Amino acid sequence: MELNDRNLQTLTEYLQKTLSPDPAVRRPAEKFLESVEGNQNYPILLLTVLEKSQDEVIRVCAAVTFKNYIKRNWRVVEDELNKISDPDRTAIKANIVNLMLSSPEQIQKQLSDAISIIGREDFPQKWPDLLTEMVTRFQSGDFHVINGILRTAHSLFKRYRHEFKSNELWSEIKLVLDTFAQPLTELFKATIDLCQTHATDINALKVLFSSLALISKLFYSLNFQDLPEFFEDNMETWMTNFHNLLTLDNKLLQTDDEEEAGLLELLKSQICDNAALYAQKYDEEFQPYLPRFVTAIWNLLVTTGQEVKYDLLVSNAIQFLASVCERPHYKHLFEDQNVLTSICEKVIVPNMEFRSADEEAFEDNSEEYIIRDLEGSDIDTRRRAACDLVRGLCKFFEGPVTGIFSGYVNSMLTEYAKNPGVNWKHKDAAIYLVTSLASKAQTQKHGITQANELVNLSEFFVNHILVDLKSPNVNEFPVLKADAIKYVMTFRSQLPKEQLLESVPLLVAHLQAESIVQHTYAAHALERLFTMRGANNATLITPTEMAPFTEQLLNNLFKSLAVPGSSENEYIMKAIMRSFSLLQEAIVPYIPTLIGQLTHKLLLVSKNPSKPHFNHYLFESLCLSIRITCKADPDTVDSFEEALFPVFTEILQNDVQEFVPYVFQVMSLLLEIHTSSIPSSYMALFPHLLQPALWERTGNIPPLVRLLQAYLEKGAAAIASTAADKIPGLLGVFQKLIASKANDHQGFYLLNSIVEHMPPDSITQYRKQIFILLFQRLQSSKTTKFVKSFLVFINLYCVKYGAIALQEIFDDIQPKMFGMVVEKIIIPEVQKVSGQVEKKICAVGITKILTECPALMDTEYTKLWTPLLQALIGLFELPEDDSIPDDEHFIDIEDTPGYQTAFSQLAFAGKKEHDPIGDAVSNPKILLAQSLHKLSTACPGRVPSMLSTSLPAEALQFLQGYLQAATVQLL
Amino acid sequence: MSAANENSPRLTQFKNKGKDVTELRRRRIEVNVELRKAKKDEQILKRRNVSSLPDEATSPLQEKSQNCQAQHWTVEEIVNGVSSTNLETQVQATQAARKLLSREKHPPIDRIISAGLIPKFVSFLSLVESPPIQFEAAWALTNIASGTSDQTIFLLLQSGYLRNVTWTLSNLCRNKNPAPPLDAVKQMLPTLLHLLHHEDKEVLADTCWAISYLTDGPNERIEVVVETGVVPRLVQLLGSGELAIVTPSLRSIGNIVTGTDDQTQAVISAGALSMFPALLRHHKNNIQKEASWTLSNITAGRDYQIQEVINAGIVPYLVEVLRRGDYKTQKEAVWAVTNYTSGGTVEQVVYLVQANILEPLLNLLSTKDSKTILVILDAISNIFLAGEKIGEVEKLSLMIEEYGGLDKIEALQSHENEMVYKASLNLIEKYFSGEEEEDECVAPETTTDGYAFQISENQSTFNF
Repeated sequence: MELNDRNLQTLTEYLQKTLSPDPAVRRPAEKFLESVEGNQNYPILLLTVLEKSQDEVIRVCAAVTFKNYIKRNWRVVEDELNKISDPDRTAIKANIVNLMLSSPEQIQKQLSDAISIIGREDFPQKWPDLLTEMVTRFQSGDFHVINGILRTAHSLFKRYRHEFKSNELWSEIKLVLDTFAQPLTELFKATIDLCQTHATDINALKVLFSSLALISKLFYSLNFQDLPEFFEDNMETWMTNFHNLLTLDNKLLQTDDEEEAGLLELLKSQICDNAALYAQKYDEEFQPYLPRFVTAIWNLLVTTGQEVKYDLLVSNAIQFLASVCERPHYKHLFEDQNVLTSICEKVIVPNMEFRSADEEAFEDNSEEYIIRDLEGSDIDTRRRAACDLVRGLCKFFEGPVTGIFSGYVNSMLTEYAKNPGVNWKHKDAAIYLVTSLASKAQTQKHGITQANELVNLSEFFVNHILVDLKSPNVNEFPVLKADAIKYVMTFRSQLPKEQLLESVPLLVAHLQAESIVQHTYAAHALERLFTMRGANNATLITPTEMAPFTEQLLNNLFKSLAVPGSSENEYIMKAIMRSFSLLQEAIVPYIPTLIGQLTHKLLLVSKNPSKPHFNHYLFESLCLSIRITCKADPDTVDSFEEALFPVFTEILQNDVQEFVPYVFQVMSLLLEIHTSSIPSSYMALFPHLLQPALWERTGNIPPLVRLLQAYLEKGAAAIASTAADKIPGLLGVFQKLIASKANDHQGFYLLNSIVEHMPPDSITQYRKQIFILLFQRLQSSKTTKFVKSFLVFINLYCVKYGAIALQEIFDDIQPKMFGMVVEKIIIPEVQKVSGQVEKKICAVGITKILTECPALMDTEYTKLWTPLLQALIGLFELPEDDSIPDDEHFIDIEDTPGYQTAFSQLAFAGKKEHDPIGDAVSNPKILLAQSLHKLSTACPGRVPSMLSTSLPAEALQFLQGYLQAATVQLL
Repeated sequence: MSAANENSPRLTQFKNKGKDVTELRRRRIEVNVELRKAKKDEQILKRRNVSSLPDEATSPLQEKSQNCQAQHWTVEEIVNGVSSTNLETQVQATQAARKLLSREKHPPIDRIISAGLIPKFVSFLSLVESPPIQFEAAWALTNIASGTSDQTIFLLLQSGYLRNVTWTLSNLCRNKNPAPPLDAVKQMLPTLLHLLHHEDKEVLADTCWAISYLTDGPNERIEVVVETGVVPRLVQLLGSGELAIVTPSLRSIGNIVTGTDDQTQAVISAGALSMFPALLRHHKNNIQKEASWTLSNITAGRDYQIQEVINAGIVPYLVEVLRRGDYKTQKEAVWAVTNYTSGGTVEQVVYLVQANILEPLLNLLSTKDSKTILVILDAISNIFLAGEKIGEVEKLSLMIEEYGGLDKIEALQSHENEMVYKASLNLIEKYFSGEEEEDECVAPETTTDGYAFQISENQSTFNF
């Protein structure tokens, strides 16, 4: 590609086309540009267009294209094509800084990004003159240029804030400091001087303050890893100026915008960060300056308004105070009662007030309000920062702070009482203050777990909370109602049970409130109360205590779901689930109505599933309804099937991906309840369950395996007699699963069920193939997980078909195979098997191999007999071997699925652990003793002699214990 | 949920239970580049009005050339040599004297003294421009000093000389590029050991500094020092209460425990741990920091060594340091905790949690240092692993949430550093993702195109 007019023209035309809204024009142009970008001179052509074109739009387009090109191609990856020629690289680096600085801002930003991408790869070694080139520009006096440089420097240096210390990194920083620190300091001073010279020129000030903000950011990056010698020597200059800037106010720089932070706020906010950095990391050196900063920041807080635009500044400033006040050697700065009072009064209380922005969110954006207020995603808010400061101060001054605030709370409550209609926000603030003062530790599960003993929570509840809960008009003062409900929820672990019980019917009533926040809080509070545990781990609130309110509770919960805006409210659905779970059989009379409402809801949301949590709890509630009802009367399962199958069919037919795994789980639950034969409706579905399309989705695999297991448990005979042609397909699923390191355990679940339940004749012809497949996996890609499952399976097979059958089928596949498996797999690996049932299966299986397999006694396998016995005793007595070989640490990572395929397991659809051996063997050690006894009776003398020759003494001792317990002796 | 959702450097560095102890141990010098002022070094040098140490390519302790191996100089030749005006001759003569004095049998101490060589050697000590002669003179003088008591009296009277000698020796020991040859170190050690029992504080301090320099290196070098049996004396000096002595002896002990398990054990067996409560509460931040660093390398050892730390009652002090120490001390204490949780038994980790380590540890998650954050996250992960073994995961999650740790870990999910955000994400997913919303990760697979149940024809022989 030559650098000529024709090529420039062509490039311009294609760039133009990439802006077309018509994909038919845009896409080919994008493709074309990508196809030629590997040519030499391509980036130079782009830069030329960017520089020379008369069309502003084309220039910006060239800049964006150039940046993306750099982003994709600059990094040289080993073994991959280097798309940018060396001459082009050199030319780009030689010109880009100049070009950036002479471009208008929009283009400048793109080129600045490009520089930092290049810098990340080439700086400093392969771009040695970049820094000096940049520094030289500081003297230009043109702040448009200077800000361009500062921005670029910021994007180059900001990684110093988060990268790990290393020689390479620190060498780079050192180099940067050597060249950059002094000129930056000069620039800082000069800029501040200019601010004074131009104190009345708003346009000049704007440019200068953006420079100062950038310089402050650079300061943060350069000082982050360690305190550089240069900055220690020049601390006076920097800190004095930072301090001055913090206290500076310029009317001209105040903005009218309420939301967007202005330059002054951004600068001060960064200075707070810088001071916090020094206070934390370079305490010793910073100590002389710290008190001044505390005062300045505190004054700043006192004088800063309530507007949203100050939020970041205020929360940064408060966080600075919070981090300083809990340090022992700065305690004295806060100790004075006047200081404390002033901080409480002027910093904390004002920032806890309910602002009009909060009020708007409460009414119009309830979802966001709830997330922020309930789920703690309020990290950067003023209220949160103020709370943190309260907690910080309480570390040393709990008594005085509590005292000061008590006065405040009382006066605010008095204000409220004078005129609730006008002053309700005072009560809100009072409640908030009490909450933040009382909370020392908190969890989602239990609410507040440690409270400030100086605050009487119960009394406050009686005097100020209960009034709002009891208020006959649930729709009056919704914010205060929500506060009251939240108070109960927050302090549920601290309040006495009587007060909680008193609250329950009131909370039920609040479910009817119009305010979304209010009824959501009521649902959430009830849900939390219902999870509380009392003595003996029983629920604190019992179904009997709930009996008078049950109907009202269920009614109101479903009514609140009908409020527009709450139709898919996850808190309400979770409360429904929790209510079912608590009330148990008390809900049975209402089930016909409830199931109708739930299926109706399911039908609606299945059209467009959008709230995963809501949907999850909906399915959990369905499962609970089924469990509770069928526990009382298993025959009712038919009526559930009748109600649910039409919706389920629709979901399966429309392939609603989010719901399919849930449907399989509910179906498993239903099928497992059936006691007699498998209904024909299930059999009709069976062939469809084997379709590859279903199994390709990883989220389906666990519930589908579970469902097939239920089919096998209930309908093995039916499958063998009426669907024998489907057995290969069933085994095909097993084969598919076994091929994957991630899913092989699921394949074994299926295989175990097949072996356990299918009539032996129906699978005889496939047995050998099954084992060959397993051996192939064992040969080609053995993993610990696979081996564990394999061991359980072969032992289950042995229990089911006998040890001789196992030995014969192995040796039939390949001579001496049985001995190899015993020696190389069973003996060395059986210690890794985990799980009670799994261990039991292995113990019983190995006992059979030891005592019911003549080949192990009479052939060359005999040498394995004692080691196998020893391994079995080890399985009984030694701790489980949970080591994982080094090369297996990474298996899961490469198989990790994307989020959308994650499988959501329904807790209330869970099945209890299945023990295929069951009561047949209650104590495997006794079984071993008895079996050995039987063996020794058959061939007297042999067993004791094998034991005495090679079984270690310790193992022998254990064995004798088993024999004694079983009261048998070896002959 | 996979337990191995970690990337490889992390795994080898902390995660594996079969961890590599040498990886956990952290040498004094992690980064050669310094951004800070070199304050301490400056002070040491100022004390004796020496501007800077020579940055020679070869250490003065290297035997410079083979050809000047003037063997067996007579005392007369030496006297002539040191009186020469030629510096090189003076060096050679002094070296010859040192070699005579270093020989095992009957070093001619008396004759050297009576030849009036001592004042001459002492004057060489101030020849800053020639480190080799400083060194040879110092060594010769220490050989005289450590000779039999009779002879030394003469020299001890002039203990100012001995101070200069020791200081010179110590400064020569600190050379790093290259370090003094092992043979020379071995020869010098008995002298240092002797000086370590001297009553003069300055001599003691400088001798400790010398030992701290000698132990600041690979395990072979540490071994040479440990073999002399110097460790119990160092431990004694650790409790001397003199800052000037405590500082270098703590450095020496700290260096030694960067070595092997056995070398670390030598320190523990000498009773060093009983000194740590006082060191961790020392009024000097720097001592607290060094003590925490030393502790971090002891907890990087075997579980029985961690048990010794517990038995010495140090854990509460560690918690205290984590809570109130200065920033650098806290950073070292974090390492001590993480190493402890990585190598400790379940019971030991439980004890640590009961000693209230969690709250201060979690508070430090707001530290402005990515590495420290990552190290803390690793400690949390280790504590959870222990919790899993005793079925206390839920309780642990609640404790962490109560201490505000969950909020902090959640916030770290948006940290700029990739390893930090991955580690925090991993913790959240594993231990904090809801009551009944356990996600189970199952992966897609890529084999077989259909589900026909069949096996391939050409099966080779199985061999496991």
